[in-house]
Amino acid sequence: MTDLNYILETILLLAVPFVPVAIGVMLRRKFPRPAEGAAATGGQKAGRLAGNLLFWGGIAGIVFMVIVLLNFKGKI
Amino acid sequence: MKPIYHAIIGLLLAAAPGAVCAAEPVQWDANRPEFKFFQEKGSYTEDAWDQLAPEDQEKALEEVKDKALEREKLVLEDYSYASQKWDSRQAKFYTDKIRNEELKVFYIWVGKEEGQELNRKVSFVRDMLAKASTEEGLTDEDAAALSRYLIPEAINDLRALKTAAGVQRQAAAAAGRQDPGKAAVNASLDKASGAASKANGKDISKFFDGSAGNGDVSDPVYSKKYALPKGVVGSAVGGISGSMSKQVAGAADDLLAPNGTSATTVKSAPPAALGEAKTKSKALTSDAYGITLETGAGVKTFRKPKEAEAAIRELPPGSVKKIILYGHGAPGLQSVGDNSYDAESTTALLKGKMAKDGVIQFAGCNTASIGGPTLNPAVGLSMVARRLLYFSVPYFLDRKDGRNAEDSKQEWEKTWNADLARDTSNGVKGAIVCGYRTFGLVPGRLPVVTRLMGTQEATTPGYVAGKKACYQDGKEVPAP
Repeated sequence: MTDLNYILETILLLAVPFVPVAIGVMLRRKFPRPAEGAAATGGQKAGRLAGNLLFWGGIAGIVFMVIVLLNFKGKI
Repeated sequence: MKPIYHAIIGLLLAAAPGAVCAAEPVQWDANRPEFKFFQEKGSYTEDAWDQLAPEDQEKALEEVKDKALEREKLVLEDYSYASQKWDSRQAKFYTDKIRNEELKVFYIWVGKEEGQELNRKVSFVRDMLAKASTEEGLTDEDAAALSRYLIPEAINDLRALKTAAGVQRQAAAAAGRQDPGKAAVNASLDKASGAASKANGKDISKFFDGSAGNGDVSDPVYSKKYALPKGVVGSAVGGISGSMSKQVAGAADDLLAPNGTSATTVKSAPPAALGEAKTKSKALTSDAYGITLETGAGVKTFRKPKEAEAAIRELPPGSVKKIILYGHGAPGLQSVGDNSYDAESTTALLKGKMAKDGVIQFAGCNTASIGGPTLNPAVGLSMVARRLLYFSVPYFLDRKDGRNAEDSKQEWEKTWNADLARDTSNGVKGAIVCGYRTFGLVPGRLPVVTRLMGTQEATTPGYVAGKKACYQDGKEVPAP
């Protein structure tokens, strides 16, 4: 049971940096860039902005984790 | 041809005074560093000097010129510490260490009056220390007279000795002993000065023994309390943490070795500050680490931790205002180049050396615990990374090696969130000890960037992106 608990914990922890990226991608799909000439509603703008923030914030988080890993390994 | 004759005659006339000067004997000048150096070393007396040929005099002066200037700087630095008002530790240190030989050095380099004043100060404080732990204790007059030499807290400490020593005597009498013994008095002294360390106990014992021995042997400290994850050491960290246990053992060996000097004034040479001898690296990745030491005499940086340790051991008590240990960190451990420091080895190195509210800065990742919950996503990710790297990875590597799950769990649960800064603050009382709750990102360490900035072998971190935590006596305090 101890091993199972820690395997689950590890999977969840490893998934953490990818969660905002996944949510960001979903939001960006749900609120696509409006076609040229078409005006976006306030909700669409907010949704896309949130999607962009989560997506790029998530990417930055993954880069951060990579840097941390390199630091841990003594590469930087 | 005429101009040539004029030029030759002109040159001869110009060279003549120089030739005359070179041939003249150099008068003994007790105020010149070179002559002070001769006096201290006993190389020449004034009479012996006068009998030297002028050429030999010039040669002798040239030989010791640099050494003399260096020595002068060192002794004046020592004197600046010794002439300040002392706290309890300094009082014990100086009264134990300053004897005739050291006083002679101050007489020569600083001046007769200053040397005499220091002699009066040491003798008086020594007498008062002895009197403080007798039944009589210190009187108001004694305390008033001591205020010239000691800070008020130190005087209060000394006055408290009477009570402490009395209790010890009663206990000894109750136990059927007539003499409370030195150990009891020493224990009282330690308690009153807030320095119940074995090392200080030795100092006090020496003081009461009247020993002029200048060995200040620290107790060996070697603990595997914060061993790094062995799997991690073996695989991921590689060169950084693989040799840590060996290095800690090495540090313990160093601590076992007695100090060669009682104070820098006696027989020491200043350690080389590595900042002065920087060589430009062309590496694309960083190998930055070092120790920065700030004292009343200024700031010195050391690339080699052993040199920094030697310099620290030579310093008088209470003289370190700030020390930055820079390098890779891990929960409960700070590495600096080939050396690594845990709470116990840091305590052994710095105990008694820190000035009041002096700062010990561990500039390495995860040198404090993760702390409480946070809304900062970067801090959150750092917590996740720390748990993964310092718990999950070593745990599963242990399991792969066939180790019992419960044992492995207990070990790594205890280790992954160790707080080096807090543990050190419990050892080095009064000092503010800071570490990072997160991985600290130093822009100057990034590959390529480090080359552009020329910081491959930097000894100080500069800007660190990380969450800092500071402790004093085990309690969290704001960062200074």
